[in-house]
Amino acid sequence: MKLRLSSSRATVMAGLALIVGMPVTLPAVEIHIQSDTRIYGMERDIGGVEGQMVAPGYEYLRIDAGQLQEKGFSFHSYGWGRLDFADNEFFEHREDGELLYGYLQYADPESGLDLRVGRQTVAGGVGNDAIDGLQLSGDLGPWLVALVYGGQPVGFSSDNGRTDDLIYGGRLGIHQGRFGELGVSYKNLENNNVIAEEALGLDLSLFLPANISLSGFSNRNLDSKGWAEHSYELQIPLNPVLIRPYFGEYDYEHYFGTGVNTVNPFRVLAINGEKLRVIGLDTTWKYSDAIDLALKIKGNDYDRMNGSEYASGLVTWHGAELTQVGVEVGYMKGDLDKQKYLLTRLFGYLDGLEEYGIGFMSGDVVWARYDQPIYGKDDSLFVSLGVGRDFLDEAVEVELSADYSRDPYFDADLRGLFSVTYRYDHE
Amino acid sequence: MMLKKISGFSFLLLLALVMTACVALRAEWTPPLQHPADAGLGKRPPICTDCHEARNENFNWQRFNHDTFFGDNHRQQAYQGSRVCSMCHQQNFCNDCHASTSVELTPSVKDPSATYRRSPHRGDWITRHRIEGSLDPTSCIRCHRNPKTATTCAPCHG
Ligand code: HEC
Ligand code: HEC
Ligand code: HEC
Ligand code: HEC
Ligand code: HEC
Repeated sequence: MKLRLSSSRATVMAGLALIVGMPVTLPAVEIHIQSDTRIYGMERDIGGVEGQMVAPGYEYLRIDAGQLQEKGFSFHSYGWGRLDFADNEFFEHREDGELLYGYLQYADPESGLDLRVGRQTVAGGVGNDAIDGLQLSGDLGPWLVALVYGGQPVGFSSDNGRTDDLIYGGRLGIHQGRFGELGVSYKNLENNNVIAEEALGLDLSLFLPANISLSGFSNRNLDSKGWAEHSYELQIPLNPVLIRPYFGEYDYEHYFGTGVNTVNPFRVLAINGEKLRVIGLDTTWKYSDAIDLALKIKGNDYDRMNGSEYASGLVTWHGAELTQVGVEVGYMKGDLDKQKYLLTRLFGYLDGLEEYGIGFMSGDVVWARYDQPIYGKDDSLFVSLGVGRDFLDEAVEVELSADYSRDPYFDADLRGLFSVTYRYDHE
Repeated sequence: MMLKKISGFSFLLLLALVMTACVALRAEWTPPLQHPADAGLGKRPPICTDCHEARNENFNWQRFNHDTFFGDNHRQQAYQGSRVCSMCHQQNFCNDCHASTSVELTPSVKDPSATYRRSPHRGDWITRHRIEGSLDPTSCIRCHRNPKTATTCAPCHG
């Protein structure tokens, strides 16, 4: 298709124009590299053979270069790759890696205009996608802020090639520091020439007296012609307590029914004619400098199913830096017994343990109890323990951790992790 | 259909041109590219209002407070303020939880020791997701929307 060719060509051209046209005053180039190497070990049943070793090694690499502290030219990239040390069929049907982003950015110091070319994430209203293309954003005078993007959607590249895939959209917001912001956004996504998503979004934040704010988002499916979602929430600070009542309304036909895009299990949900209304209240209470209390209550009401509720309470004690210990207890009360469970979690993180020869220790215990047994088990236990420390002024961080799980899928599963993080900065 | 597409696309191009032309019109205030490094933020999720006022004529800090549930609900803030997030977070921080393309590892498997985060899918998730997924599946599609990530689900969901 001509249009598509021209859109990807436009991307390349704009990139070239950007490089050729850039003023040849090359300021000092800063470089930041972060490498995360993770090696896991566990046992899995593969193709009917029990207890085979699975040992993948992952490398996550992030590179940023250019003007990183100030506006100007810069390059940013992040991706991962996997090496299968056990070399069996476990990862057969999976990709071995992915470039999550890799783009050139120009942030104009004068105007604040921001141009990005390459693989990147776009975010604004209904747009929340990874694209190979171009995005331009900036302020248009004191009250308007705009974002436009176009290119090819990354998520569809594996599905029948991508020459006929296209994504474009944008957002226009009007804002005033004291009153809030109202935004209109649009997105069109085509997979193999057929509309996969066409959506119009409205996002709102309104700053009311007494530091109360109202935020909301409505999303209209332009392809199936119906409102997919309305979600609105209030933030009411009553220091030291903050309450956040919220409301949401979802029409599954329009919410999940995004044309050819819909993959299972969502395809099934799009055709079951369900409508969901969610009402909830989150409360956080800064009980003292060190202790936070929090409570979450949520009710779901449906057109077809009978209602369900979830409630959970949380206590967290904070020490210095990331040190904390917390407990969470929640109960999900679905209509049927098979939809009820009790969830408890005990978690901790101890930071600054250098005097004991390690940097930090972490622990996580999750115990869940199901009202109706699943695969003959009525509870599950998950325990994770980790230790780590850094060397060479935080340039290198080494971590060891082990996860144990006893649940409906595994009688006793153990997974070990060894990871090394390396950071390099050149200024 | 074709016509609509062209008009939609050229509208965006036009908007891009108008934007470029409008660079002369300055914003009165924009957030800095990076949050001041010497602000003493520390590693903890920040409560902005510990250091800033709740709001002033330019900005509302209150809404960005990283309180206990911020990890569960930051979407309203992100829809409008991604340049606020990028003052402190690099994009890869978001990518590790958001499967907008394939990331393979669930956040709590990638960073099991980050117990101070509200990483989704801890513990017995593969068992429990059938309950949460049927009672409120609306959040799931936000991260599991595209065919590339659906390969995780395909073995059981076809
Ligand atoms: C530990 C204290 C501290 C915390 C916590 C903190 N900041 Fe800041 N922030 C500062 C300091 C200091 C400055 C520089 C002085 C100034 O501009 O107020 C600053 C500057 C800023 C600015 C630029 C202000 C301007 O007018 O140019 C923004 C925007 C900002 N912070 C946002 C945030 C947000 C959002 C959060 C919470 C997610 C946050 N800050 C948390 C200390 C803090
Ligand atoms: C002033 C700096 C600052 C700003 C601005 C900021 N963050 Fe954070 N955020 C942090 C720090 C520090 C942490 C804790 C570090 C960590 O989790 O590794 C954090 C943690 C988080 C977490 C994990 C919290 C949890 O409990 O699971 C999320 C999610 C997050 N930020 C999202 C955002 C989003 C979205 C925005 C923009 C709307 C944003 N942040 C803006 C500094 C900031
Ligand atoms: C600790 C994990 C975690 C991290 C890190 C994280 N998020 Fe999220 N995010 C979530 C969860 C969970 C949801 C779904 C919550 C819901 O359903 O509202 C979500 C939802 C969102 C949504 C709404 C998605 C949609 O399609 O409607 C946006 C936008 C978003 N996050 C932006 C960000 C940005 C920007 C960052 C990085 C600054 C970030 N998030 C980092 C866990 C995370
Ligand atoms: C904040 C983003 C986010 C949200 C919201 C989210 N997930 Fe996930 N989920 C992930 C990531 C990232 C992975 C790991 C990579 C992958 O498989 O794509 C994952 C993996 C999974 C897995 C495989 C887990 C395993 O151990 O193999 C299941 C099942 C799952 N998600 C179900 C759900 C359901 C059901 C919901 C809604 C209740 C949901 N997810 C909401 C990000 C999210
Ligand atoms: C190990 C097998 C397995 C994997 C992998 C898996 N699921 Fe499931 N899922 C199930 C089972 C079993 C059910 C319960 C089906 C039922 O009750 O009919 C379920 C139910 C669901 C439901 C509720 C659907 C409904 O109609 O009530 C959602 C949503 C869901 N899964 C999402 C996901 C997503 C998203 C992924 C991939 C990220 C995923 N699942 C991966 C086994 C799995």
